[in-house]
Amino acid sequence: MEYNGGSVVAMIGKDCVAIASDLRLGQQSVGVAMNFDKVFPVNDKLYYGLPGLATDVYTLREQLRFRVNMYRMKEEREITPKTFTHLVSSTLYEKRFGPYFIEPVVAGLPSPTELDPHPKPFISTMDTIGCITTPKDFAVAGTASNKLFGVAEGLWEPDLEPEDLFETISQTLLNAVDRDALSGWGAIVHVITHDKVITRQLRARMD
Amino acid sequence: MTAPGGSSGAYSFSLTTFSPSGKLVQIEHALAAVAGGTTSLGIKATNGVVLATEKKSPSLLLDTSVLEKVAPICPNIGFVYSGMGPDFRVLVAKARKIAQAYWKMYGEHPPTKVLVQEVAAVMQQATQRGGVRPYGISLLIAGWDSHRGQSLYQVDPSGSYWAWKASAIGKNTVNGKTFLEKRYNDDLSLEDAIHTALLTLKEGFEGQMTEKTIEIGVVTVPTAEQMQENSGERLPPTFRKLTEQEVRDYLAL
Amino acid sequence: MTVQIQPQEEAVGFDFSNYARNQFLGQHMNGLPKATSTGTTIVGLKFGGGDSGEEEGVCLGADTRATAGDIVADKNCEKIHYLTPMIRCCGAGTAADTEFVTNLISSNLELHALSQGRPVRVVTAMTMLKQYLFRYQGHVGAHLVLGGVDSTGSHLFTIHAHGSTDKLPYVTMGSGSLAAMAVFESAYKPYLKREEAVALVARAIRAGIFNDLGSGSNVDVSIITKAGCETLRNYEMPNERGVKSRNYKFRRGTTAWVKENIRSLIVKEDVKITSGAGKEQPGIEPHPVPVGAGPGGEEGMDVDS
Repeated sequence: MEYNGGSVVAMIGKDCVAIASDLRLGQQSVGVAMNFDKVFPVNDKLYYGLPGLATDVYTLREQLRFRVNMYRMKEEREITPKTFTHLVSSTLYEKRFGPYFIEPVVAGLPSPTELDPHPKPFISTMDTIGCITTPKDFAVAGTASNKLFGVAEGLWEPDLEPEDLFETISQTLLNAVDRDALSGWGAIVHVITHDKVITRQLRARMD
Repeated sequence: MTAPGGSSGAYSFSLTTFSPSGKLVQIEHALAAVAGGTTSLGIKATNGVVLATEKKSPSLLLDTSVLEKVAPICPNIGFVYSGMGPDFRVLVAKARKIAQAYWKMYGEHPPTKVLVQEVAAVMQQATQRGGVRPYGISLLIAGWDSHRGQSLYQVDPSGSYWAWKASAIGKNTVNGKTFLEKRYNDDLSLEDAIHTALLTLKEGFEGQMTEKTIEIGVVTVPTAEQMQENSGERLPPTFRKLTEQEVRDYLAL
Repeated sequence: MTVQIQPQEEAVGFDFSNYARNQFLGQHMNGLPKATSTGTTIVGLKFGGGDSGEEEGVCLGADTRATAGDIVADKNCEKIHYLTPMIRCCGAGTAADTEFVTNLISSNLELHALSQGRPVRVVTAMTMLKQYLFRYQGHVGAHLVLGGVDSTGSHLFTIHAHGSTDKLPYVTMGSGSLAAMAVFESAYKPYLKREEAVALVARAIRAGIFNDLGSGSNVDVSIITKAGCETLRNYEMPNERGVKSRNYKFRRGTTAWVKENIRSLIVKEDVKITSGAGKEQPGIEPHPVPVGAGPGGEEGMDVDS
């Protein structure tokens, strides 16, 4: 966890969700890269972040890419955020006694269906062995998680519009990682709404 | 090292081999076993699916209450079969395990089509693997899922599967299908479908049709309210077998 | 030499492939990451029957705090897990283990119920849980309170992570078990009425919430009688967060960004009709699909011609 550093945060807004990560890849105290994106898309309206040991970020991302593609082909549909969370969770628990050092964060907007025409925005996190929590406000993970908890608890409020959610999640992330030596070196934010995904790279401290 | 002709290893050839004309006669024989089995049928309605079957007993002395031909697999899917009962029970056990494995992976029950494909794959394997014979049954699979709604499938010993609006398998398939073709329309309700199922079963039914000699399973489409998740509770099942009392009531109508 | 043509036995159990690597990393870094655990107060008691004049049953209770070290990871998690319609199980210890163990056993109990054609018994659930936990020698860190009603009456058990079990009329587990047991020991009586039982369980959980650091937030209660199971999620919420007096919205444009990419999910397309689809067209031979080997055809396997 502390070997490569990095943090991810996700938040729920009004008919939108946002997920953001820092861009640092380190080797303990040595900074190695400032373009190490930890957030990946699953489909149009579902993203997930993998903060933790960088080697496991790649392994798990490929493993999940494989499983989601198999799901998509077998079932002829896109995976929902909730189902994807369960998939990640069972993937992690398979390695209960030799876990991946990753604490995933999932953020997505479920598509409306006949039975549920107004689905709620969805976020979730897991620990390294796949214990799911599905908060109604925000989810944090990574080396700055303690700081993120504090800042998010203070700044988050319900029913933020996409642009307001962008400001809140960005300020939460930037101010938390500024107090974490292992996270930072740039940040990237994705705001997912029903008709578009806004991705912005933030101007951040580079020290 | 396994002995030649043993049940595993390199020398256990598949019993299903092509005839020079390109046919797999073992599969045709399996289909003959199905055609000799009691009639089963399924009808898809606008708000559900019905599965129905005849429970035939070769002797008056047999206790038919132990027989079970309509089997729930998971809360949203049920099977019925025509053909060999023992083969059915093996497949049901496998299908239930497949459904539970899916649930453990994804936290929800499999969509009907996915389970059908998995079961069809099991049946296909028996036409190609060493030391085994094909399953002597055809299945009718009814289920509901949020993706495709209610659906009805048939799986044959070859592993082929089809989605149907209505189908009949086993004895009297031809008559049954002709009857269903006449009776079926696209805006049949579940209640209508149950009655149509009973009427179809009545065609060529040997002996008295009672709650002891037929079995019925139904898929119902849940309302949005029923799909509301409450903490500590599971969603209500969408597939269930009708009780003897319910069957009696339908027969009385 | 024989060539294995039979499919391999399905892989079961856990994958230890990262274990050695993680031990190495753990030695060279400051320890392994901590899994979420439920510090937890969970309790259960039997009520009714005897001279209470009420149906006998069990009442289970749990707090809703999940912790990761000294951080509260979840302020309102669910610790009363579903096993079968008439059996519930409270979990303490490693959160992922309690979740996955109860799910696994719930799944196996459903298979068992389907194959036996009757509702399963509480002892069956208890035996399956203890055998599984014993097999893993305590490494699967699930400490459970199991309760339910079956054809033989109402039952209450505790199951420890190593696989030992107890059968008692009132039980507590988790880090708040001492606080909760203090309440039970002072106030438990046999043949409580349902209402009294729920109140006592809630009081025991509150003792955990307020006196044990590992427990907190709200009280969840489940009551199981012959009539069915009633789950009272957040039965008491003695720790509600106050309402913020102001909002802390940032003025839009506060955050400076260097790059933006907007991916529109609205698909626009122009359709230009080039030929009549499905219509007969001059100079094009129609190729009808071969008839006979269609769906349900008595041919067995279809062969493409």
